[in-house]
Amino acid sequence: MDAFVELSAELTGFSAEELRSTGLVEQYRALAQDASHAEIIELWYTGVWRGVIPSSRAYAEGLAWKAVGVAPPGTRAPGFGSWEHRPRRSSL
Amino acid sequence: MRAVVVGAGFAGSLIAKVLGDNGFSVLVLEAGADTDHDEAVERFRASRVKSPLRPYRTTVAAPSSDYLINTGPFDYASPYLRMNGGTGAAWTGITPRMHPDDFRTADIGRGRNWPISYDDLEPYYRAAEWEIGIAADADEQRQHLPVAEGYRYPMHALPRTYLDRVVASVVDGASIDGHELLVVGTPQARNGKPVDGYRPDGNLCAGYASCVPICPEQAKYTPHRTQKRWSGTVELRTRCVVNRVHADEFGRVTKVSYQRYEDDTTGRHTRHEEEADVVILAAHAIENAKLLLMSGLANSSDQVGRNLMDHPALLTWALMPQPVGPFRGPGSTTGIEAFRGGPERGRRAPFRIEIGNWGWGWSAGSPDSDTAEFVAAGLRGTALRRAVAERVSRQFALQVEVEQEADPANRVTLAAERDALGNPRPSLHYGLSDYVKDGLLAAKRVCDQLFEMLKAEDYTSYKPDEERYFEHNGEPLRYWGAGHGGGTHVMGSSRRDSVVDQWQRCWDHPNLYAVGCGSMPSLGTSNPSITMAALALRTADHLVSSRVEGVLGKMSKAP
Repeated sequence: MDAFVELSAELTGFSAEELRSTGLVEQYRALAQDASHAEIIELWYTGVWRGVIPSSRAYAEGLAWKAVGVAPPGTRAPGFGSWEHRPRRSSL
Repeated sequence: MRAVVVGAGFAGSLIAKVLGDNGFSVLVLEAGADTDHDEAVERFRASRVKSPLRPYRTTVAAPSSDYLINTGPFDYASPYLRMNGGTGAAWTGITPRMHPDDFRTADIGRGRNWPISYDDLEPYYRAAEWEIGIAADADEQRQHLPVAEGYRYPMHALPRTYLDRVVASVVDGASIDGHELLVVGTPQARNGKPVDGYRPDGNLCAGYASCVPICPEQAKYTPHRTQKRWSGTVELRTRCVVNRVHADEFGRVTKVSYQRYEDDTTGRHTRHEEEADVVILAAHAIENAKLLLMSGLANSSDQVGRNLMDHPALLTWALMPQPVGPFRGPGSTTGIEAFRGGPERGRRAPFRIEIGNWGWGWSAGSPDSDTAEFVAAGLRGTALRRAVAERVSRQFALQVEVEQEADPANRVTLAAERDALGNPRPSLHYGLSDYVKDGLLAAKRVCDQLFEMLKAEDYTSYKPDEERYFEHNGEPLRYWGAGHGGGTHVMGSSRRDSVVDQWQRCWDHPNLYAVGCGSMPSLGTSNPSITMAALALRTADHLVSSRVEGVLGKMSKAP
């Protein structure tokens, strides 16, 4: 088992598979060696590590946005006119 | 005919195009550098604070608004960008016209009248809307504005957001303080579906939700589009900071001096001069005023730098009872126009309400702030995930632009402090009058009532330790900068009390023009770029039609 992924999943409410699909596990594991739980959550949810965004991928994969079910602004476009429609219920 | 245009932003790029199309030889001198689009998008994504200037290349030699020095009771809150394309690269792309009453603000409210009317400008609004590429529906706009019969905007109105429909279903037809409410589509400078006969430049808006500060799809108009259409007689030189305009003993402008720099990180530069038959300053309201003051020109009225205005914006934010899907598509596609006029304008500033589609992003830093709040409250795992989803998906904001009247005490002067090129930094003395504060407070009360109608849970709070907080009549208030600086080379009907005439020509210098929002005697309640563009095209027309007897004729008539 991967202790960092397991802890991250427990803290964030996202599955190990969801976390791995961000492609950020290795980068975050290296950053978060002596991090508090709150820091680990902030990193996953907002892509911010101690005041800095370590990579544009960290921003694009922010879990806060995934929780809401929208892409972070300026990363992926939902398509012309998509904003007209009633939003989908989030998966939880 | 040799024209020098100072500034390759919104107004400068438009005027250079018309002059170039009509055989002028045009040199555009831009203080800032070029920013590569892909690099800017990448910088936006990787920036912790996604403020308007953030994606763009900065240089030490030509700093943007972060080099302003505030000396007044309030901070001037609006950024601007010194870069090829200017603040027109980072702008929102919202383009409502001014209302006819907004040209008579002294008569019906506070401040100054324009020397021209809405009718004088109307044909140029149409020209600007086609040059820039505006998506709007003329019949819908006629609900609150006179738009010429038979006129079509070049693109159909963008689809409204889901949030707009939720708001409209509740407020349309209701009233507040005797004003009937109606949610009206806001004209947009981003690509929608074209009408017959119009070919959009660039892709359809894809809904990236980052129009400010950058549209990754390039569906939003920026001055770079107009620059691509410049004729071969227009030359652009970036990294050239004009620091003096020279006039002869008769007041006729002869040449400009500029400092050219190569590297981004030092003030190292070389000095140059360029002769011109006509000079057009299009460097931004504050930069135009700075340059006129540094040159000692155009100021017989003592109005250069004065009458600095902005739209102090009031933000209010709340949760809808149901998810509304924020952060999808443009920042705002509709507004409530009912408070832009009315008899109250004699007592307090009028305002325009934008329905804000990007959650509490601008007002409160969502969703990072929500996450931090829930984590601090001890939420973890699924409970945290649910709380963030539940909170953010219901967020919306009202963004209210309040008119600020021309007040000569709000002004740009030259600070003793110098920038890296040795030029004085702009010093701003800025304040809010009781007329503006009363408008902000009235806007707050209207927002309160709208939230109540919508059964929305109000989360608005203004705290004393926050920037730009103040109290008025015992009520906490706060304002944000809308990025709409103007008034600093004000237009008027008399040389005694204004800097430029109705053509944006300096009263004191027959061949010197100062163009842009700095010429506006009032800002009304509209985002000003489309009005700036209409004025620029009107000035360009005037320059083209008067060139024969124009500058040379005036020379022989000089005293």
